[in-house]
Amino acid sequence: MGFTFTEIMPAWPEIFLACAAMGLLVLGVFMKTGAARSISWLSVLALVATGILEIVVVPDGGRVHIFNQLFVADVFTTFVKCLILGASAVGIIMSLGYNDREDIARFEFPILILLATLGMMMMVSAADLISLYVGLELQSLSLYVIAAFRRDSVKSSEAGLKYFVLGALASGMLLYGSSMIYGFSGSTNFLQLAKVLDADASAGIIVGLVFVMVGLAFKISAFPFHMWTPDVYEGAPTPVTAFFAAAPKMAAMALFISVLVGPFGNLVAQWQQVLVLIAIGSMLLGGFAAITQSNIKRLLAYSSIGNMGYALIGLSAGTKDGYSAVLIYMSIYLVMTVGAFAVVLCMRREGRMVEEVKDLAGLSKTQPAMAALMALFMFSMAGIPPLAGFFGKFYVFLAAIEAKLYILAIIGVLASVVAAYYYLRIVMTMYFTEPVEDLDRNVGPELSTIQAIAGAFVLFFILFAEPVVQMTNQAIASLTSG
Amino acid sequence: MVVQALAFYAFAAVLISAGIMVVVSKNPVHSVLFLILCFFNAAGLFVMMGAEFLAMILVIVYVGAVAVLFLFVVMMLDVNFTELREGFARYLPIGLVIGVVLLIELIVLVSGAIPIGKASGPVAKAIAKQPSGHNTEMIGRLLYTDYFYLFQAAGMVLLVAMIGAIVLTHRRRDGVRRQSIAKQTARKSSESIRVVDVKPGEGL
Amino acid sequence: MEFFNAYVWPTIEIIFWILVIIVPIILGMAYLTYAERKIIGAVQLRKGPNVVGWFGLLQPIADGLKLLTKETIIPSGANRVIFVIAPMTTFVLAMIAWAVVPFGYSDVSGGPEPEKWVLADINVGILYLFAISSLGVYGIIMAGWASNSKYAFLGALRSAAQMVSYEVSIGFIMITVLLAAGSLNLTEIVLAQKNHGIAHMIGVPELTFLNWFWIPLFPMFVIFFISVLAETNRHPFDLPEAEAELVSGYNVEYSAFIFAMFFLGEYINMILMSAMTVVLFMGGWLPPLDVSWLNWIPGPIWFAGKVAFCLLIFILARAALPRYRYDQLMRLGWKIFLPTSLFAVVAVAGVLLSFGWLPK
Repeated sequence: MGFTFTEIMPAWPEIFLACAAMGLLVLGVFMKTGAARSISWLSVLALVATGILEIVVVPDGGRVHIFNQLFVADVFTTFVKCLILGASAVGIIMSLGYNDREDIARFEFPILILLATLGMMMMVSAADLISLYVGLELQSLSLYVIAAFRRDSVKSSEAGLKYFVLGALASGMLLYGSSMIYGFSGSTNFLQLAKVLDADASAGIIVGLVFVMVGLAFKISAFPFHMWTPDVYEGAPTPVTAFFAAAPKMAAMALFISVLVGPFGNLVAQWQQVLVLIAIGSMLLGGFAAITQSNIKRLLAYSSIGNMGYALIGLSAGTKDGYSAVLIYMSIYLVMTVGAFAVVLCMRREGRMVEEVKDLAGLSKTQPAMAALMALFMFSMAGIPPLAGFFGKFYVFLAAIEAKLYILAIIGVLASVVAAYYYLRIVMTMYFTEPVEDLDRNVGPELSTIQAIAGAFVLFFILFAEPVVQMTNQAIASLTSG
Repeated sequence: MVVQALAFYAFAAVLISAGIMVVVSKNPVHSVLFLILCFFNAAGLFVMMGAEFLAMILVIVYVGAVAVLFLFVVMMLDVNFTELREGFARYLPIGLVIGVVLLIELIVLVSGAIPIGKASGPVAKAIAKQPSGHNTEMIGRLLYTDYFYLFQAAGMVLLVAMIGAIVLTHRRRDGVRRQSIAKQTARKSSESIRVVDVKPGEGL
Repeated sequence: MEFFNAYVWPTIEIIFWILVIIVPIILGMAYLTYAERKIIGAVQLRKGPNVVGWFGLLQPIADGLKLLTKETIIPSGANRVIFVIAPMTTFVLAMIAWAVVPFGYSDVSGGPEPEKWVLADINVGILYLFAISSLGVYGIIMAGWASNSKYAFLGALRSAAQMVSYEVSIGFIMITVLLAAGSLNLTEIVLAQKNHGIAHMIGVPELTFLNWFWIPLFPMFVIFFISVLAETNRHPFDLPEAEAELVSGYNVEYSAFIFAMFFLGEYINMILMSAMTVVLFMGGWLPPLDVSWLNWIPGPIWFAGKVAFCLLIFILARAALPRYRYDQLMRLGWKIFLPTSLFAVVAVAGVLLSFGWLPK
């Protein structure tokens, strides 16, 4: 059995991205000086080209399985992959100035982000437990390395090592779960599993499923597998943290959806209970633990844990509306996080990064535009209408109520009230305290552009909410079409 | 058959006891050497199952390359292993619990209390298609057709591992004078030797 | 009686054949040391050993007896068990690899099934050889560590890095050969060099030596031979035991019989690697010309002759070449041989496929 080039058309973007990464790697090795900056921009170009290719080859309507049913493409995967590609491109652009200033600008950085993105795309398109695992490993391995990219800093190395050890443990659990599922069902293929598994699955399958969910929960840093998140977010270089908070979360969440909906679609009753617990735990932890944080990167880490909890509400509803609410939530979360981190990256004083919340004091007086944008992101994360974050929360709570998960919805609302406290505290610091010392102003045009675009999205989301909802509905429709 | 059974039990017994020795032996170098013994016996078991290709690859990759580097590192490092062992008693209960859980699972599986699905999917199909033939050839056929995607993806994973190792450890030193072999061999005596007429008693 | 037929007799038979292989190899090894000393002596305009026996022919025997009767000294700080196991490992590994080496092939037309003259005719013979040769490093690294001596340890470290580096290109070169031969079985690899190839292409089928893989894969042949020199720690890559720097390297603490085992192991490894070169590139037991009186000479003789030729080059390399520096050694292995052989795998596969020369 061979493959012709047109048969594997849905995988062209992945193939292109892999070739681009390898080509740029070779180019980077042979370029003498200034390789980092030009390779970075070329990588951004490659990501954009991959995105365009992705839109060109998207199969209309149903799902297309290729490579002996190891790889799947449909509207859902295309939607998610485009978001991931965008987040990765922004991640590279955000790192440019930082890497230069911190003297860690090396051409391998964008290459590793490209390869991580490739891994994420493979995860999203996985149609088999093995391809899921390989994609996940490709992504994780690249992320371990870039977490430790600032290798002269003890904190960064520690972040990389911590992430690696715990990530390896999570991969082990995922593999163990996969092996149980294979042992008890006789297949690793999602289509086959969906056929074989029915509501009264054996205990072995359930145990395997729980292990797989543990592995995935680790990757989205949901409670109780969140321990690594604050340390890694704090230790890793800030643009890397921004990247971690965006693209990999999106990919892992999409994988979570496609695994639970696809092969384990008949086991809703079983995985729903687990998900509800994970969601409640993440929301509460994200709400309460962040209150005491003074480091803004740690604070955003807990915020992302909480956000994953809200997104999981939609998934645990187990309905199409719920899944599409997750996609909406994640898209909005992506933009808000990127915007917030673009502000954090501007927090420099006398050429050095500062990371404390109190360093933002009086920002409204010294840099009113940036303070306004940050306030916008914080209000949006707190879920204040009519900003984008409100809609994200609105759709997931709506899905939960429709699925009669009232308690979950109530806890969600309460947790978001708690979370609003610390988001508003940042706004308070910026607007109602006297400035200590001015932050540096020469941050480069890239970051302000990203902030502005993200701010515009958050502010005007209400105007184009309808087409986004339609797109996610279409994506979920193609995912569940079988 | 008797010989085969004997060989199996010999391999299995040595494998398990060497595995135990890997964990309990005091000297880390001995641990690595016992690990190598484990690999050998596992390879022996593979041969007995008729998977000679896997057996050889196990020896070449794990014993011939991976374990050499292990041994290399363990010999070079001066780790205080008594210090490492201090936590042993503390973590023993957790380890025991996990071990017992796994054991119970294995027993449940073997006893057949839970029905196990039949193997399907590409492997089973491929084996059914080619009942005879060398398993080297069969593995090759599978890897380059049915599992082509995974094969390539695994290649990318290894590439990332390589880039990562280089990024995290490679340091470019300034002022290193590199040998240029082409330059050295292209050198002619006319460029580098000068005949000087030295007058006696004067020097240069 | 049934027990005897089923178990005892096959065991006796196999032990007999093992002896048939081992005894000539050990004898050959003894005279290899003699040949080395004589040839290097000739190169350096000396006489070499010439006192014990006619032309010094009994010298290797005398040396062996001396080593056997001396006292074995184990250094006080040494790890006794590993110290003793190390030379045994080297020796045993050098010996067991011979199980798969084919010495000949009897194919009488109209006769019974062709008989392969090989102890164990396994499917993955080439992988077995590669596996065993990649284990050779253990004897050295264990010896270096167990001796508890700086020189020995340095030698062991050098050797580990060196052998692991050159194994990589050896592996790739083997892949090119087995792509061309279409089998992992060593007998099949030799037979693939018999009946088709360049001699048939240019219309002179009598010149069978042109069919052997050394011509179509010539660059690989050269790289393979150089890598083999490095793999056996021979000059000009003898850094693990560089006398001038490490006063003999990993085996500096060894004496008497355990030293003899190292010595035996090393030289038998040389013969083994030569045999590997002969099987992969020089047509194994096949005569160089397809003429009747050459065909009449039995295969094992041809085989031994070709092995002796390779060994001659080993020795001449020692006589002629200065030692490499360590960074040059690594550069050669990783920056030149590895890319070249990697490219060769692609190129050979591409050529075989596009010209339809793939073996069935």
